Amino acid sequence: MDLDISDTRRLFTNLIRADKFGKMMYSRMMQGKLIGFYHPAEGAIAPGVAAGSFLTDDDILFPHHRGHGITHMLSKGIDVKPYIAEHAGKSTGCCAGRAAWHYAFPEHNVFGTTAYIGHNFVPCTGFGWAAKRNGRGQVVMNCFGDGAMGTGRSHEGLLLSSNWQLPIIHFCENNGLSIFAEVEEMHPTEHLSTVAQGLNIPHVIVEDGQDVFAIAEAVIPAIERARSGGGPTFIEAKCLRFKEHDIGNRDLRGWTPREESEYAAMLERDPVKVATKRVLDESLLSQSEIDQIHEQAEREVDEAVRFADESPVESPLEAELLADVYPPKKTGVV
Amino acid sequence: MRELAFVNAIREAIQQEMRRDEKVFVVGQDVRGGVYPHTLNLVDEFGPERIVDTPISESAMHGTAFGSALLGYRPIVDFMFASTAMTVFTETAVMTGQQYFLHGSKRPAPLVMTGAWGIGKRTANDHAMPIHGYYSRAPGLRVVIPSTPYDAKGIFTAAIRDDSPVMIPWCTGVMMLKGPVPEESYELPLDKASIKREGSDVTVLANSEQLQFALKVADKLSGEISMEVIDPISFSPIDMETILNSLEKTNRLVIVDEDWEMGGFAATVAARVVDEAFDLLDAPVKRVCFPNMPIPGGFMEDYLRPNPEKIERAVRDVCA
Repeated sequence: MDLDISDTRRLFTNLIRADKFGKMMYSRMMQGKLIGFYHPAEGAIAPGVAAGSFLTDDDILFPHHRGHGITHMLSKGIDVKPYIAEHAGKSTGCCAGRAAWHYAFPEHNVFGTTAYIGHNFVPCTGFGWAAKRNGRGQVVMNCFGDGAMGTGRSHEGLLLSSNWQLPIIHFCENNGLSIFAEVEEMHPTEHLSTVAQGLNIPHVIVEDGQDVFAIAEAVIPAIERARSGGGPTFIEAKCLRFKEHDIGNRDLRGWTPREESEYAAMLERDPVKVATKRVLDESLLSQSEIDQIHEQAEREVDEAVRFADESPVESPLEAELLADVYPPKKTGVV
Repeated sequence: MRELAFVNAIREAIQQEMRRDEKVFVVGQDVRGGVYPHTLNLVDEFGPERIVDTPISESAMHGTAFGSALLGYRPIVDFMFASTAMTVFTETAVMTGQQYFLHGSKRPAPLVMTGAWGIGKRTANDHAMPIHGYYSRAPGLRVVIPSTPYDAKGIFTAAIRDDSPVMIPWCTGVMMLKGPVPEESYELPLDKASIKREGSDVTVLANSEQLQFALKVADKLSGEISMEVIDPISFSPIDMETILNSLEKTNRLVIVDEDWEMGGFAATVAARVVDEAFDLLDAPVKRVCFPNMPIPGGFMEDYLRPNPEKIERAVRDVCA
């Protein structure tokens, strides 16, 4: 492993935090404390941790929708409390309780989200365009799943990023399933990154997307390349989805339930288990350090839950909301 | 005052705003070559970094504008033909219109979307169709149509400076219309209708080429029927105040719009007038619109679309 100890610690810590936040969100959804849908990230958190952990606050992140991006955002260094509140419809939410789960964190360069699959390629093209011209070395982390690669938007976004050599990391979290549909049936090539290859975009395939360290080794040089004007990279991390597409839905392959043996095999590839084994085997972290990381993450999750629960639901008047539909007229334009 | 053609008034607004603010740029297909003259030769002054051509990738082309607007740029995305914007309706209407409010009214997306439409040029549905009816139902967008050269410059200038996403579908029927345009920059309000001719017997709302038709009818009928002709300019939101003030005087209303009759501007204004000012009406509200059918490309559009004869008939009907 080429990662230094601070990288390793950061990745491991973010992985534990993401895992605990994800499990908390799952249980809160089951308790009826979340509004809208919840698309659990469980089992597939390693890609988001690797994608987010090496971004600066000034970089632009478009999170994957699974886990509603908590993994990616907390790894970027964003305090996700306002997002947990947002998902409960609270006024302290990052979008004042108006977005639920198609949210934005403009203060931390996370914005433009909607429910349309592949929509990430739309604003990310403009983020990349602006980042290149801003001259501050910003990069754009554009995260999406295998399903998004079926959209025309993905082709167009990849095309323009290649034409203009935009500082974008196209980050495909390929868990092999879009709702029920299997990628092998929906896509003709073995790797989705073949599409990027066809458009002259350098690509990296991470076969073990359950291993956060392996993905990070692909992400770090891609970010460096983008930051130094080297243009886009396409990273494809092959990962697993432990749960159903969204809570309450059936968990099928095609149109039949996934086999019990599949779940058992998947659990062996739990990203937390994989990472823990590695840091212990290679003596990168001690058991007591690991315990500390777990305890601290649990405290952080408890605090976020308390913040969300204690925040009020507000009911602004229709007239007040209508006044917020258009931005105020700019004054002082010469 | 110096006269300019409508399309060159747009060009001057874009040029002056690009000189004033380096965050303003144009993105579209063949805007460097200037398929329409409003971007003709601008690349010579501003270069291909600010007059930006894309492949035929409307989604990413619009995304260039939308994403960079969220990061503080002020793009104009040119769809060439207005209805091309509808190939990416989700992007242009839903994502662009709603993100500001839904995301807590924190980060505006100040972009201008534009494209040409106009029935009566034998171009058939796809090149001719009006889109303001579709887009005016998208919350968060401003939908504005200037109809004179003077208004074109003032509206484009204001739209580029405004923090809202603004859709400006302009009509090819007035593209070469000439009129006085000041050389210096100026803004016109994006949300106000404009009274183009004062009158006392009947209020006629009309935009684009239909505005020219309505003004011709007003000339023809002067001495017999006094028409007040109002250009709505803003299709979302609608300036009801100007319309209702006019109705206080005339008590009669004809709404002319090349858009389909079903569910568009004319239908909305008619409903609001009935709702808010029923007692002002001395006659039924008449709408002169395109019938609910595809816009044919041949000669049939001449008698299907609104025209001076239909406007005159509607005016005479409500004044009878």
